[in-house]
Amino acid sequence: MLPVSLYLHIPFCKSRCSYCDFNTYAGLDHLTEDYIAALGREIELAGRGIEGEKPHAHTLYLGGGTPSLLTPQQVELLIAASRRHFDLPAGAEISIEANPGTVDLDKLRRLREMGVNRLSLGVQSAQAADLKLFGRIHSFEEAIDAFKLARRAGYENISIDLIYGAPGQTLPGWRDTLKRILDWQPEHISLYSLSIEEGTPLEAQIEQGTVDVPDPDLAADMYDQAREALSKAGLQQYELSNWARSGRECRHNRQYWLNESYLGFGAGAYGTFDGLRYWNVGPVGEYIERIRQTKESRFPPSPAAEGSETVNHKMAMTETMILGLRLTGEGVYKERFARRFGRTVDQVFGDVITRLVEQELLADDGQSVRLTERAYLISNRVFVHFVEDGSLTA
Amino acid sequence: MERTDIRNFCIIAHIDHGKSTLADRLLELTGTVSAREMTEQVLDAMDLERERGVTIKASAVRMNYTTQNGHGYEINLIDTPGHVDFSYEVSRALQACEGAVLVVDATQGIEAQTLANLFLALDADLEIIPVVNKIDLPAARPDEVAEEIEELLGIDAADVIQISAKTGVNVEAVLEAVVERVPPPKGDVTLPLRALVFDSHYDSYKGVIAYVRVVEGVLDMSEPLLMMATGAIAEPIEIGIFSPNMKPSGRLEAGEVGYVATGLKTVRDARVGDTITVRSRAAAEALPGYVAVKPMVFAGLYPTENEDYDLLRDALDKLQLNDASLVFEPETSQALNFGFRCGFLGLFHMDIIQERLEREYDLDIIATAPSVEYEIEMRNTGEVRVIDSPAQLPDEAEIEEIREPWMRIQIFTPTDYIGPIMDLVTKRRGEYVSTEYLDPRRVMLNYTIPLAELIVDFYDRLKSISRGYASLDYHFEGYRTGNLAKLDILINHQPVDALALIVHQDAAYHKGQALVSKLKEAIPRQQFEVPIQAAMGKKVISRANVKALRKDVLAKCYGGDITRKRKLLEKQKKGKKRMKMVGQVELPQEAFMTLLKLDEG
Ligand SMILES: Nc1nc2c(ncn2[C@@H]2O[C@H](COP(=O)(O)OP(=O)(O)OP(=O)(O)O)[C@@H](O)[C@H]2O)c(=O)[nH]1
Ligand code: SF4
Ligand SMILES: [Mg+2]
Repeated sequence: MLPVSLYLHIPFCKSRCSYCDFNTYAGLDHLTEDYIAALGREIELAGRGIEGEKPHAHTLYLGGGTPSLLTPQQVELLIAASRRHFDLPAGAEISIEANPGTVDLDKLRRLREMGVNRLSLGVQSAQAADLKLFGRIHSFEEAIDAFKLARRAGYENISIDLIYGAPGQTLPGWRDTLKRILDWQPEHISLYSLSIEEGTPLEAQIEQGTVDVPDPDLAADMYDQAREALSKAGLQQYELSNWARSGRECRHNRQYWLNESYLGFGAGAYGTFDGLRYWNVGPVGEYIERIRQTKESRFPPSPAAEGSETVNHKMAMTETMILGLRLTGEGVYKERFARRFGRTVDQVFGDVITRLVEQELLADDGQSVRLTERAYLISNRVFVHFVEDGSLTA
Repeated sequence: MERTDIRNFCIIAHIDHGKSTLADRLLELTGTVSAREMTEQVLDAMDLERERGVTIKASAVRMNYTTQNGHGYEINLIDTPGHVDFSYEVSRALQACEGAVLVVDATQGIEAQTLANLFLALDADLEIIPVVNKIDLPAARPDEVAEEIEELLGIDAADVIQISAKTGVNVEAVLEAVVERVPPPKGDVTLPLRALVFDSHYDSYKGVIAYVRVVEGVLDMSEPLLMMATGAIAEPIEIGIFSPNMKPSGRLEAGEVGYVATGLKTVRDARVGDTITVRSRAAAEALPGYVAVKPMVFAGLYPTENEDYDLLRDALDKLQLNDASLVFEPETSQALNFGFRCGFLGLFHMDIIQERLEREYDLDIIATAPSVEYEIEMRNTGEVRVIDSPAQLPDEAEIEEIREPWMRIQIFTPTDYIGPIMDLVTKRRGEYVSTEYLDPRRVMLNYTIPLAELIVDFYDRLKSISRGYASLDYHFEGYRTGNLAKLDILINHQPVDALALIVHQDAAYHKGQALVSKLKEAIPRQQFEVPIQAAMGKKVISRANVKALRKDVLAKCYGGDITRKRKLLEKQKKGKKRMKMVGQVELPQEAFMTLLKLDEG
């Protein structure tokens, strides 16, 4: 068993991006102070609520929303709470998501000093038209500045988020974006295929016809070209959407993909610990209220949980496959699986795997099962074979 | 009750002219249904009937009515369906009656099934009481319509009762006319029992419930009964009347209409049209019964999930218990595995059966495109084979000729739409017979047309080009030789039996193209490119490719939201289960129905 990971959700943004359906809010700045207090308190409650020893944690991730909107003091409070209630050693990976336009040198330095050692910068595109369509609050020039400042502040592990497959994006524009980003020599890159989510402004625009429906074939071309460009630049693909210089793979996210325990704190956060998955209430005010009303509580679930489910054996095995196969480099290690579940991958999923190997969507070298390259972009067609059909749960 | 105080009648009309609504008013007026229990078209008890506002099954009900001059009568009413597919229901109901109320919509006038059903009633020697309905509507032309009726029936227009079934205006006059004009049932109570089974339904506790009209003698619980045609013996479990729900009465006498619960487990033992008698004192001869209905339209019904085959068979068995016109036999298809070849009275009937299977039996089914029955004369032997599925067509070289069923059709339409209707019929290989003017603005067009052309979307097209004004009736005419051939559809180079079509040579090219392009839309992208071809014999006449799927990935989920991801995949998997694997290709249900919609666009 790996040590646990901690995720802290910061549900505040300056304004809402057009494609975003995350649990995040613009215009709730006045709640930030109370929210941070509640979040600190939730960490404490969890730490105290867990039976037995203080769990060992090896990653801490501040995600959002826009965590970089927080003041250094607020971030410090959260890190301190995490250290106090969990065993978070000096070498732990501590990441923060930052948006260009919300950071300055001083803030970046102070975060670095308090132990933040990984920065994930939401750049999304180098094309002004894309940034406008996305409703981002920053220009590409501001993104360049943010990156430079981060280097100056001493970050040696910076990740860049980019979006592809968006309406209006072109192959030349995409190549240009990749080239400019690669010029910076970031340690890590995440590429997200844009999906049009329900209820977002972008969906509305597409429905009204003011924005084109994204073309999946073009997105596929973009993905292929990106794989080539990133690999040439010495970044290795280790997950369907993630590339890194050797040793810079994101440990926190790998925790998810290995289907290991993580504790999520904050409004709308998810966590899985001790065989239980819980999800917290989404609205910020409600979250604060729930935490305020709690004196003590056993963990898991979180006292702010809106719901929870027991992750039974079968579900855990399914999830281990559909998450683990995302790790394109390592795949699902058979030995790890067998150790965890007391049954081998082949005993549980042998038929499915054989069929998918025949279709050249999976590769099985005896040690691990991996997606073949041709399956990367149609991974759902593989994963779907590992889940139950939805007639019971839907 | 004296037999002279009994009246049996049915309500007949073209679809939607207000039969069931009139029945509502009559039930109200006679206090058979209390105000509290009253709903619109209360006799349309099936969910499907209520939802679609259409009567599918005839239903019988007994009412007690005291006339204006104070005399009490027992009146049995049968409400009938108006849709042409169900005209056999009408003809059966007629056998249980001495009179028929013919309802004509005052805004529409006489339409195709008005005439068709009227002729059925006249054939059965019934007293006709014509009624013009919906006089409350602004567009009503009651006097004109009454005159149309006068011309048709030779009844004085002044004697045509003008009512509104909706508001209740003048509805009592209908009951008075029934009492006055419809003769009481004849039939001797002292003779051995003869009761005609005019309908039935199946009840899991009481077995087959036969709806009967007692023609002679007495039906009671005292002795075992004999089904004269099948020889089955039944111990009556319950005898009663419809009021409108089943109400035990223990006894029915000559002239009365009601039901007997037979305890029989299969409808084959108590067939509609059979005569029930008493075993110990059997009647010498059975009643004339009915001509068995012949299905016109055939299609394969397959469970989406193979393991539901047995459930589908059970469901069809049960439906057949209540619907003798449904026929089916096992069929296998390379593409769809195990299913049933089913025969229906028409497309509407097919649609209803499909929907009942899905709703009442919770089955997911795939229906293949409907086909008609062809006669194939073999080249060498001269043998004639009858096939009802393109997949059964022998090799071209072995066939001497193919014969297909032709229908006589009558189209009633305002003169404005004659042009477009002629075009439609001609395009469908129809042949002109004659035109009869009903009045200066309305005509009856007579044609003959291949049934195969009629079942592909003809009725909908007719309705749409005439803005709903044209109505259609049809009858089987006979088989004719046709220049027909099989059109094969190949998906990923494999012929798919369930998609094959028998087409007229002249239309083959066009149909092949249309079909290929419809299929291209209907088939989702797969992991590889999928060629679709239409071919006649070895010759490919049209082709298109479904491009390979390149991208199917989950969006980014933050904070390890695996539950949501898993649910999305589960949903996707459920969707996949509804697909049929043909070779390596997943075909959705719509692919098999594309043949039905070839004419659009
Ligand atoms: N305005 C008006 N509408 C009527 C009248 N009678 C029936 N309707 C309406 O006409 C439609 C058809 O009535 P139904 O009673 O279902 O007709 P039906 O003849 O039983 O139809 P099928 O059983 O499908 O052949 C319904 O919407 C009724 O509300 C009437 O007297 N006046
Ligand atoms: S900054 Fe990120 S979390 Fe905030 S609205 Fe934009 S995409 Fe969503
Ligand atoms: Mg009706």
